[in-house]
Amino acid sequence: MKFLNDRLLFLFAALFVSLSSAPLLAAQDLENAQLVHPTADSWPTYHGDYSGRRHVHFAQITPQNVGDLSLAWAYQTNQAAAIKSSPLLVDGIIYFTVPDNIWAVDARSGHMIWHYTRPSKGEHIGQRGVAIYKSWLFFATPDTHLISLNAKDGSVRWDKVIADTSKGYWSTMAPLVVKNHVIVGVGGDLDNIPGLLRSFDPDTGALQWEWDATPPASTPNATTGGMTWITGTYDPELNLLYWGTGNPTPVLNGKTRPGTDLYTCSIVAIDPDTGKLAWGFSASPHDTHDWDAVEIPVLVDGKFHGEPHKMLMQASRNGYFFVLDRTNGKSLLTTPYGPVNWALGIDKEGHPIPNPDKEPAPDGRLIAPDEGGLTNYRSPSFDPATGLFIVDAHPSYSLYFAKPADGAYGWAGADYGLWGKGVIDAIDYQTGKIRWTHDVGEGGSGAGVMTTDSGLAFTGDGHGNLLALETSTGKTLWHVGTGSPMQSSPISYELDGRQYILSSSGGVLFAWALPENRVHARTSTAAGH
Amino acid sequence: MNKVKGIRFALFLAAAAVSFSLVPSIEGPARAADQAENVPPAKTPTPKDPGADSYAQHCAICHGDQRQGILPGFPPLLGITHQMTDDKITDLIHTGKGRMPGFPSLQNGELTALMHFLTSAEPAPQLAANGGARTSLSAAGESLFLQNCAFCHGRDAEGGETGPDLTESRLVRRDRTGDDIAKVIHEGRPDNKMPAFNFSTQEIRGIIAFIHEREAEAVSRPGGRRGVSVADLQTGNVDAGKRYFNGPGGCVKCHAPSGDLAGVASRYEGLELEERMLFPRDTTSHVTVTLPSGKELSGSLAYLDEFTVAMRDSSGVYHSWAASRVRYKVHAPVEAHVDLFPKYTDADIHNLMAYLQTLH
Repeated sequence: MKFLNDRLLFLFAALFVSLSSAPLLAAQDLENAQLVHPTADSWPTYHGDYSGRRHVHFAQITPQNVGDLSLAWAYQTNQAAAIKSSPLLVDGIIYFTVPDNIWAVDARSGHMIWHYTRPSKGEHIGQRGVAIYKSWLFFATPDTHLISLNAKDGSVRWDKVIADTSKGYWSTMAPLVVKNHVIVGVGGDLDNIPGLLRSFDPDTGALQWEWDATPPASTPNATTGGMTWITGTYDPELNLLYWGTGNPTPVLNGKTRPGTDLYTCSIVAIDPDTGKLAWGFSASPHDTHDWDAVEIPVLVDGKFHGEPHKMLMQASRNGYFFVLDRTNGKSLLTTPYGPVNWALGIDKEGHPIPNPDKEPAPDGRLIAPDEGGLTNYRSPSFDPATGLFIVDAHPSYSLYFAKPADGAYGWAGADYGLWGKGVIDAIDYQTGKIRWTHDVGEGGSGAGVMTTDSGLAFTGDGHGNLLALETSTGKTLWHVGTGSPMQSSPISYELDGRQYILSSSGGVLFAWALPENRVHARTSTAAGH
Repeated sequence: MNKVKGIRFALFLAAAAVSFSLVPSIEGPARAADQAENVPPAKTPTPKDPGADSYAQHCAICHGDQRQGILPGFPPLLGITHQMTDDKITDLIHTGKGRMPGFPSLQNGELTALMHFLTSAEPAPQLAANGGARTSLSAAGESLFLQNCAFCHGRDAEGGETGPDLTESRLVRRDRTGDDIAKVIHEGRPDNKMPAFNFSTQEIRGIIAFIHEREAEAVSRPGGRRGVSVADLQTGNVDAGKRYFNGPGGCVKCHAPSGDLAGVASRYEGLELEERMLFPRDTTSHVTVTLPSGKELSGSLAYLDEFTVAMRDSSGVYHSWAASRVRYKVHAPVEAHVDLFPKYTDADIHNLMAYLQTLH
C-alpha cells in the first residue's frame, strides 16, 4: 500500500514537472546579434557585452535620486559558498552560480525557477557564472567539465571534459560564446601543466580547437602554466578574442624556466574561428610572484594622445596599467597604479623589466604588491564620459621566500602577506594618473565596479557596504550594509521601465531599484549597453 | 595478502570498532561497516543496511538509487549535509516540501538509520599521499581538504596561494585536541581573509586528522625542510640592524630594547618574529570622539568605516555613532610600520631581524 502511494506521488510529481516546464510563450532564443548588441533588458554575457567595459547606458538611477535606492528583492542560496559569479539575464530570468550549483531566478521577483546541482571532486575555489547561446546554458565545473543545460529547466543536454582534472586542472570561469563557439579556459596552479583554451560546438559539444598557452610539461628549459581562468573579451570587427593568461609554473621558482615565459602572464589575441594566436603581450615577462594577467582586457575605441585608436586596457595584478593597440598588441602606455617594487623599469616595448633581486629568496624579499596583486579577478569599469578606468585596487606588501628544498614543482616556495588596504582608483587612461582614490578599508574590498551613463559607479567596500559613487569625483552618494563584502561585480538591467542593480554578498543575491511608485511606467528608451 | 593491505585491513577493523562504540543507538554490525566506508579499498556495500533499505523504499524512486538525483525535478542527496543540518533534513523528511511528500511515519530506529545513510559520505578517493597506511578519518579529511582548502594552503597543507603552511603553524603544532583548528575552520579568520566553513564535527575531525598527518610527515622529512625555518632568517648584520633601529628606521620613537621589546626574541622566533616586526596585526588603535554637544569621549577603536565609528571605553562598553554626526580622531601608532614599507631595502629587514634576535 505504502509502495503504491509512493508510485502515485511519483506520477503526480512527474506530471507537475512536465506541466511546469511546458512553455506558455515561446521564449526567444538568444541570437548572436543580441550578444553583439545586448538589449537593456538583458545581460547576456559575463561582462554584459563583449567589450568588458561593464558600463551601462541607463540613466534612470542618477546622482540626484540614488539616495532613494532600495531593496527590490533578495535571493538566499542558503549555502556557505560566497557568490563570486556575475549573473546572466535573458528573457526575464537571471542565472547565477556557486561551485556545483546554478540557480534560475525571476528577475522581477527574485523567486527561484529551478536549481541545478552536481556534486564534484576538484577545486571549489569559486564559480564566475554561466554562458548562454540560443536556449542553452554552459557551465564549467570544479572537475573541469563543460556542461550544457536547457535554460528552461536546467536539464543536462551534454557533458564534455575540458581538461583532465586528475592532472591538476579545474575550472571556475563563465564561458564566452562567440558566433558558434563556446570558449572556455582552466585553472590549476598546484602542478606544472600548460594552460589552455578550448572551443566547443554549442550544439553538439564537439571540440573545435585548442590553444595552449605554454609547451607540454617537461619540455626542457620551458615554462608550464598560463592558466586561462577569467572570461575574455571580443572585438567583432577585428574578429579577435582577447584573453589574459596566468602565472608560469613552478610558481615562485623561475630557475627552470629562464627568460621570458611565453605566453604566461600575458594578454593574447586569438582568432575565435581557428584558435590561432594573432599576437601576445607579456604583462610580466618572467613572473615569480603568481601575478596572473587574467584581469579583464577592456576594449575601448577612442583617442589616445589625439589619435584615434582601437585600444585594450588592463589594470594588471602585477601593479601595472597597460594600454595597448588591440589591432597589433603594441604598447601605448605602461604605468604602475599603486606601490610596485619588483621591476627595474619598463622596456621600449612597454614590458616591465623584472628585477632579479626581487625574485623569492631563502631569506625573504619584501614585495609590493602582495600575491593577491594590486587587483584581482573582479571587473573594473570604463566610463566613456570621463575617460576613467575605475578599478578596485589593493596596495599591499608581502614577503616571498624560495630555497632549493622547495623544489621546482607546483608552488615551489612560500609567501606571506604583511599588510594591505583597499582603494577604488580612477585612472585617467591617457596618462595613467590616478584622478581620484576612494578608501574602502583595511585588508581590501574584492568588489568589482560598474558604471552608468548617469555618472554613477557601483562597487563595495571591505566591510560589506554596497556603494554608489559619483564617477567624476569618487564621492559616496549612497550606501547600504549587506553583511559581508561583495565578492562579485555588479550588473544592471531595465525591466518594465524600472532599472535594477544586482549585487551579491555571501550567499545572497540582492536586486536594488528605485521604489516602484516613484518609477513612472515608461517605455524603455535605453539603447542597450 | 601484502603488508600494506594487511595494515589497511587492521585499521579498517579498528575504525569500525571505534565508530560502532561511538554510535550505540544504531543496531547491528552493518552500521559499523558503513561508518568505515571511507577506508579504501575495503568498502563493500552492505545490503542489510536498514538505512539503505529505508532509502530504497521511500526515497530512491525520486532521488535515484545512488542518491544522485533525477534532474531537473529531483535533487541529488549526495553531500546534503553541506546544505542542511540534520534537524532540517529530519523536518523535510517529516513534512515534505513542494512536490516532495512528507513521511511522518518515519520515526525512531528507521529514521536514525535513514539519517545515517543520508549523511554518510561518498567514498573518498584513494590518494597517493604517504603511500601506505591511512586512517579512514584522515583519508576522508584529505578529500574535503582538496576540495575546500588546497587552493590556499596547498594540496599537502604546506602552503599555496595566499594561505600559510599549516604544517609550520604554531596553532596546529600546539592544538593536539583539534579544538583551536576547529574554531578557525568554523569561524574563519576575517582579518586574514580566511572564510568560515560549515562542516560537520566529523568532517572537521577528518580535516584535522589530515592536517596533523601532513604535519607529522613534514617534521619527519630529513634535511631540506620546506617552508621558512629560523635558520633561513640569519643573513643580517646585528650592528647594521641596531643602527637602523636607532636611526633611519625610527623604531626608537615607539620602542625600547629594554622596554616593550625586552625578551621579544624569547617570545617569538623565525618567521613569526619577522612578520610581527614588519607589521604587528594585533595592535589597538585609539579614537577620540567629539559629540555634537562638545563632549569628548575616548577609547579603543572598535570599528570604522565611512559611515560608522565605534569604540570601547575604559570599562569595556561599546559605543557607536554615525560618522557624519560626530568628529573623531584616530590615533594608530601601527601606521608607522606601513610608512616604512616603501623605504626598506631587503638588507634593512634582514639586519633589523638580526638585531631583534639578540633581544632575549
